[in-house]
Amino acid sequence: MPRLQWTRASSATLLALVGALSLTACSDDDDTTPDSGVKVDAGTTTDAGSDAGTTDAGSDAGSVDTGIAWDGGSAGTFSCEGKTQTTLNFAPGQEEAFQDQVNTLAECTTITLAPGTYTFDNAITIRKNGITLVGAGKGAKGEGTGGASSTVLVFTNAAANSNGLDVVGDRFTVSNLAVWNAKKDAIRVESSTDVVMRGVRTEWEKADQESNGKYGLYPVKSKYVLIEDCEAYNAADAGIYVGQTEYAVVRNSIAKQNVAGIEIENTKFAYVLGNTAQDNTTGLVVFDLPGNPIKGTDIRVKNNVITGNNRNNFASVQASSSTVSQVPAGTGTFMLASRRVELTGNTWGNNNTVDVAVLSGLTIDSNPANWSAAGGNWASADVYIHDNTFQGGSGDNVDNGNLSQTRRPLGAALAALYAYGETQGTLGVEHLVWDGLDPVGHDRAQINPINICFVNNTLPASTTTAIVDLDLQAAATLAGQGNLAGAWGKTRHYAANKAEFNCAGFSPALTIGDAIQ
Amino acid sequence: MKPRLPVVLLALSLAACGSSDPENPAPTPDAGTSVPDAGTEDAGVPDAGVPDAGPVDSGTPDAGEPDAGPPLAIPNTLSGYGLFTGSPADGGLVPVEGNVPYTLSTALFSDYAVKSRTLYIPPGKTARYQPMAALDLPVGTLITKTFAFPADLRKPDQDVRVIETRVLVHQPSGWEAWPYVWNAEQTEATLATGGRSRDVTFIDSEGETRSFKYAVPSKNQCQQCHHLVDDKGAQVMHPIGVKARYLHRTNTYGGVEHDQLEYLASLGKLDGLPAAAELPKAPDAFDPQAADLTTRARTYLDINCAHCHNPKGTAGITSQLFLDIGTTSMFSLGECKRPGSAGSGVGGEFDILPGNHAESILWYRMHTEESGKMMPQIGRTVRHAEGSQLIADWIDSLPAKTCK
Repeated sequence: MPRLQWTRASSATLLALVGALSLTACSDDDDTTPDSGVKVDAGTTTDAGSDAGTTDAGSDAGSVDTGIAWDGGSAGTFSCEGKTQTTLNFAPGQEEAFQDQVNTLAECTTITLAPGTYTFDNAITIRKNGITLVGAGKGAKGEGTGGASSTVLVFTNAAANSNGLDVVGDRFTVSNLAVWNAKKDAIRVESSTDVVMRGVRTEWEKADQESNGKYGLYPVKSKYVLIEDCEAYNAADAGIYVGQTEYAVVRNSIAKQNVAGIEIENTKFAYVLGNTAQDNTTGLVVFDLPGNPIKGTDIRVKNNVITGNNRNNFASVQASSSTVSQVPAGTGTFMLASRRVELTGNTWGNNNTVDVAVLSGLTIDSNPANWSAAGGNWASADVYIHDNTFQGGSGDNVDNGNLSQTRRPLGAALAALYAYGETQGTLGVEHLVWDGLDPVGHDRAQINPINICFVNNTLPASTTTAIVDLDLQAAATLAGQGNLAGAWGKTRHYAANKAEFNCAGFSPALTIGDAIQ
Repeated sequence: MKPRLPVVLLALSLAACGSSDPENPAPTPDAGTSVPDAGTEDAGVPDAGVPDAGPVDSGTPDAGEPDAGPPLAIPNTLSGYGLFTGSPADGGLVPVEGNVPYTLSTALFSDYAVKSRTLYIPPGKTARYQPMAALDLPVGTLITKTFAFPADLRKPDQDVRVIETRVLVHQPSGWEAWPYVWNAEQTEATLATGGRSRDVTFIDSEGETRSFKYAVPSKNQCQQCHHLVDDKGAQVMHPIGVKARYLHRTNTYGGVEHDQLEYLASLGKLDGLPAAAELPKAPDAFDPQAADLTTRARTYLDINCAHCHNPKGTAGITSQLFLDIGTTSMFSLGECKRPGSAGSGVGGEFDILPGNHAESILWYRMHTEESGKMMPQIGRTVRHAEGSQLIADWIDSLPAKTCK
């Protein structure tokens, strides 16, 4: 732990983080319970009726996965069956011809790119349905040139502000190639249905560059997206990003050295399976942003390795509203304004700030009106964390000690609180941090009103407390008065088997991924 | 080889070919081949290039509804359209009769490129006036925009190098955009569907030499700016500039000043034009005498940003930032509004922090030259210093708020 002095600036940080919560009090009467479906009783004897009166039956009924038979393949209405299908072949040196042809494609064309290096001076912009782009292989991390069995698309000297691949088209597949040094996003697919990215590597040559492109694999405003066997390195925002999308699978992929490794934003029905997120600022991010019309829900995160995400945040050197630029280094999994999230079979460890954080959206935008587009989706609720492994080594060096009151207030606040906590015998941030804000203004007699379930996880033997409720609003108020002891006194620390968190998720359970082996 | 004379100015002054006789539309109709004048040198009769072999029009104005007619075959060279005589190399790229040059009262900024525009509406067809949207232009309409750079911005009519001509074609199936890139000799522009990259150097208004890589957009990239989402959720291409409020200004035709809209109406090419007093007018955003600061700033945002940032544009839908002239909500305009996935350092927390341009993302994005941060997404590499200043002045003029 950094040994911090509690300062007025630290107080200001806490205040700034939740300073406008008073503005949201108007919503208390309307929304004291989470919009979170139905709690499931774990059936254990420890759950002695604590659910009474807090259920919110059926409020999310319309957003539950209705069991569409989708396993990560095609599910949309566009098909190339029965249509003329052509194949175009290109080799290095034919970049100009390739660019011209890309702009006059017939639908249902497959483009094959022979092994080697392709140098482009502009984005590859695809605007047709049924396009498949396939190379000879994605090569290995660090390779900016194609080899005998790899295809590398180089954008180092491309026009400013251009993406690598820029696609709008249903049933788009890109596979077996690498995108190197794109000016903006490496592979951006927008407003498309049935998108497959398979065996693709997106990379920027230099690590830790704010000027690197922002997103590696970037499907947005799309439906039925599959990302598998991909790799993403050195993105200045998110390596693998799924945004404003319905039905997405991200599996068996690797995200390293990005600000955010894998990011699921304003997305409904996502399955994040078997990925490795290491050496990012934050490994896995699940959040909603204000003003977005899609309410994220039903996210299943299974069998991922989310360890050692301690890269200093290089998203921005300036004040910024970019959400990931505010995440402290060393954050394994960051959830904000997220609901109906199941995390199981994952491994966390050696994340310097915290393994899992569950936060209210009001910590980044305290004005409820700004969340109205998706029905007031600031609240986090129904987070089911079970059968995971927490290896330890986390929570002992918040934001790597590089604290910024303005840029990463959560890290600064945590560091300040736990610097005091250390004097009280609490030697690190627990595996699960909850800000204690949602539902806004809740009765503090309720230990777990948003239904966070923390069950059957494997923890280091030395673990005493695994969960903390920061009660950030009360803590901030006291801290703002210079009363650090009082602030710390508002935080609540729970053992992993605390009855109120020993619950069995939510109902109906998630079904996304059930059809995937 | 540099052209001796500025293409743009010539295009305007020489295109005065007069004949506004609707009985006798000037461009000799092509005799039915779908690619007019393809390949062989034209013997001198200007040819507007649109085939008229399709079904006979029933006589009512066909203002934009898809026709059953065949699509125009897209020629491989700009000359294949028959829209111009001459070339930049011989002193002027001159629109043929019926290919009407026009200018906008405030134009979209494109890296300080000097632009000239023409509008060709085929014989027998007529555009329909729209009060807010682009003119409803019939199938067969061709809009051209030619981009050029003078060697020295302070002498915009000298040593002009023409880079590209973009042609918007209203096909029966909808609008298409085709980029043509001029050769080094400045004698011909050739279709470059994939776009091209060209090194450009010029001396800016401050006397500084600027060099950058100018990107001719690909056909598909044209859609990024020209797309709106229709009622069915499909992306549909539209022209941007040909709106009444930007066309309602004078221009010289045949040595005589005309209002451009009235001139089009007098040619029989525009129906439904209301009385002059009812015509909307966008001011010159950089003429302080033309309008107040807010109106000029809003006009600048409208022509430069609103083709994406409107309730039917994909960027607008994503960001919920609406910069079209019709937006009245200051929040939708960005005041105290946080962006969605901003993606990068963008100078502030809010799109517009009233009274403080330096911490307003809107200003930052149009001021910066950093890839990934700047707006618009394509079409700009260098800062528009004057536009940046205009928006800075406007934001600073707004009553200050903390937005917290």
